[in-house]
Amino acid sequence: MNGWSGFQRDLLEQMPLILAGLRQTLQLTVIISVTGLLFGLVVFYFSNSPYQWVRSLIQGYISFFIGTPLIVLLFLMYYGLPQWGLKLSPFLVAVIGFTMNVAAYNAAYLTTARNGLDPSEIESARAQGFGRGQIFRWITLPQVLRLSVPALTNQCIGNLKDSSVAFLIQYTEFFARIQELAATNFQFFKAYLLAAAVYLGLVSILVLTARQVEKWTRLPGLGR
Amino acid sequence: MNFFEIVAQLAQGLVSTVVVTLVCSGTGMAVGLTVAGLRRMGYAHLVPFLDGFTYIFRGVPVLVLLFLVYFGLPSVGIKVGPLLAMALSLGLIAGAYLAEVFRGALDSVEASEILAAEAMGMGRLQILTSIEFPQMLRLAVPGMINEFTSILKYSPFAYTVGIAEITKQAMTLTATTLRGIEIYLAVGVLYFLIYRILLAGVHFLEKRYQVPGLGTS
Amino acid sequence: MALIQIRNLVKRFGTHTVLDGVNLNLQKGEMKVVMGPSGCGKSTLLRCINRLVEPTSGTILVRDQDIMGPGVDVRALRQSIGFVFQQFALYRHLTVLGNVMLGLRKLRGMSRAEAEAQALFQLNHLEMADHRDKYPSQISGGQKQRVAIARALAMDPAVVVFDEPTSALDPVMVREVAELFNRLNREGVTLLCVTHDLALASQIANRVIFLDQGVIRADDTLENLAKHHPNDQVRAFFGQNKGQS
Repeated sequence: MNGWSGFQRDLLEQMPLILAGLRQTLQLTVIISVTGLLFGLVVFYFSNSPYQWVRSLIQGYISFFIGTPLIVLLFLMYYGLPQWGLKLSPFLVAVIGFTMNVAAYNAAYLTTARNGLDPSEIESARAQGFGRGQIFRWITLPQVLRLSVPALTNQCIGNLKDSSVAFLIQYTEFFARIQELAATNFQFFKAYLLAAAVYLGLVSILVLTARQVEKWTRLPGLGR
Repeated sequence: MNFFEIVAQLAQGLVSTVVVTLVCSGTGMAVGLTVAGLRRMGYAHLVPFLDGFTYIFRGVPVLVLLFLVYFGLPSVGIKVGPLLAMALSLGLIAGAYLAEVFRGALDSVEASEILAAEAMGMGRLQILTSIEFPQMLRLAVPGMINEFTSILKYSPFAYTVGIAEITKQAMTLTATTLRGIEIYLAVGVLYFLIYRILLAGVHFLEKRYQVPGLGTS
Repeated sequence: MALIQIRNLVKRFGTHTVLDGVNLNLQKGEMKVVMGPSGCGKSTLLRCINRLVEPTSGTILVRDQDIMGPGVDVRALRQSIGFVFQQFALYRHLTVLGNVMLGLRKLRGMSRAEAEAQALFQLNHLEMADHRDKYPSQISGGQKQRVAIARALAMDPAVVVFDEPTSALDPVMVREVAELFNRLNREGVTLLCVTHDLALASQIANRVIFLDQGVIRADDTLENLAKHHPNDQVRAFFGQNKGQS
C-alpha cells in the first residue's frame, strides 16, 4: 500500500490549485460577512419602521430566510434564472444568495439585542430633540452592535463553514479543489480529513479573533 | 405543468426530508444530552474529551463531514449507508451544538434544588434525570428550536448521498421541465411550511409541558 | 440511647474553623433548638449530620451507627433525615403533589398509586392537599414550607431538621410555624431546628443551645440566658426582644 506517498505526491502537485481554492473560500467568506452585515443593518433599520406594512414585510423576510435552506436559494438563482435568460456566475450567485440569507440572521440578532435595550434611553433621546435617524445612529446602533458582537462573530464563523456549499453550484473554492484531489487518487478519506482539518484550523483562528473583538468592543455595564 | 403539479411532485420527497430531519434531530438530542449529562456528572477526566468533541464537531462544515463519512470511510473499509451518514455528520454536529445549549440551560437549574435532592438521598444520575434534565429542557427551548431549524435547513445535503428528498426531486424536475424558477420557489415555500409546522409542533410541546415560573411562560 | 450523638465535631474550610468541637445529643421525640448569630456554624452543623458537608474530625452517631464509618450508605442515611431548607428548595418543575411523590417513587420505588396515596396523606396532614396541582411559583412562602415539610415527612424520617425555618417568611408567620412545630412534635416527630429567630425559639422550646464561633457556649432556658448568663454578648443576644413570647 503506497497510499500515503501517492496522496502526498498528488497533494503537492495540486497544491497551487488547492491554495487558489482556499483563497476563493476566504474571499467569499470575507465578502459575504461584510455584505451580510451591511444588508443586515439595512433590514434591521427598517424592522423598526413607523409603517406597519414595512415592519410586516421585514418580519416576513427574516422569517422566510431563516426558515428555508440557503442551498434552495442558490439553486433557484443558478439553475432557475437562466430560464429567463439571466445567467449569473457561480461567484455572483453565491454572493447574492449568502448576503440575503446572512442578512436575515444578522437582522434577527440585532432585533433581539434591541429588545434588551432600556426604552427610557430612547425616550430621553427623543425628549432631548433627536430625530428617528439620529436616535438609530447614535443611541440604538452603538449599543445593539456591541451587544450582538458574539452572535455576529459566530455568524462569520458559520459563513466560513457554509461557504463550502458553494461548490455545489460549481464555484471552485477550497472544497471543490479537494474533490478534484480525491478524484485523482481515490484517497477520499485522506482528502476529506485534510479538508476537515483545514476548516477546523481556520475556524480556530476566527474564534480567537472573535474573542479579541469581543474584548475590544465591551463597555462596562452593557451586556454580559 | 402548473405550480400545484410541481408541488405534488416535490411532495414525494417530503417523507425523506422529514425522515432525515427527524433522524438527525434524534441523534443530536441523544448526543447532546449525553455530552451535557456527562459534563454535569463531574467526571473530571472526561472533560477534555467532551471539550474536544464539541470543538471539533462545531468547527467542521456539515458537507465536509458528510463527505468524509459517506465517501471517505469506505476507502478505509467502513461502509456507511446514506441515512446513517447523515446521522453521523449532521446528527453529531447538531449534538455538539445542542450539548452547548444544554450546558448553558443546566447552569440555570437552582443549586438549592440539587442540594435538596442530595439531602433527600438521591444519587447523581437520579438527580440528573429527575431534577436537572426536566428543568433544563424547558429552559433550552429557544436554543433547541434554532438547532432543529438548522437541521432542517441542512437536510438538503442528503441529496448528495443519494437520498431522494425534496431538493433531489427538484433537481430531477428541473432537468426534465427546465422550469427552475417555479420549481425552486415551490421548494422554498415547502421548506418554509415544514419550518412553520416544526415551530408550531415545538411550541405545542412547550405549552403542553409548560410549568409556571420556569422558562418562557 | 440518643437518636443522634455528636461528639467533638470539628469542621474547617481551609484555615477557617467553622465548628470547633461541638457536642450535642438529640433524643427520640425531642424538639431541640440551636441558636446563634449568623455565621456561627449552625447550617454547617446540620449539613454534617447528613454528610452534605464532610466533617474534619469528631464522630456523629445516628441510631448508634457512626455515619463516618467505613461502608456507610450515605444515601440511606440521608433518606432517614428529613431536611427542610431555608428557601424550601421545592423542585420548580414539579407540582406540589409531584414534589412529595418524587422521593417515594424514585427512592422508595413505590408505584404511582401508592406514592400518590402516601403523598396526599402527608399533604392533607399539613393542610396542603387543596393545592396539590399548583406549582411552587404559585404558592406563598408559608405554603412552600408546608410542602417541604410534607416532602420530608413522606419519607418517614427518624428526624426532621430545619435550617432557619422563618428567615424566608413574613414575621407574622412565626406564630403559625411555631404552632405547626409544636403539633408535629406532639405527634411524635423528632425535630432539630437551627434559627436566630428568638420569637420562634421562645414559642417552641424552653431550653436552647447557643452556638457561637463554632463552640456551644450555653445550653439553658431562654430566661436564664437573657438574665443570668455571665457573658454580656449572650445576654444581649437573648435579651433582644424581651417583650415577645
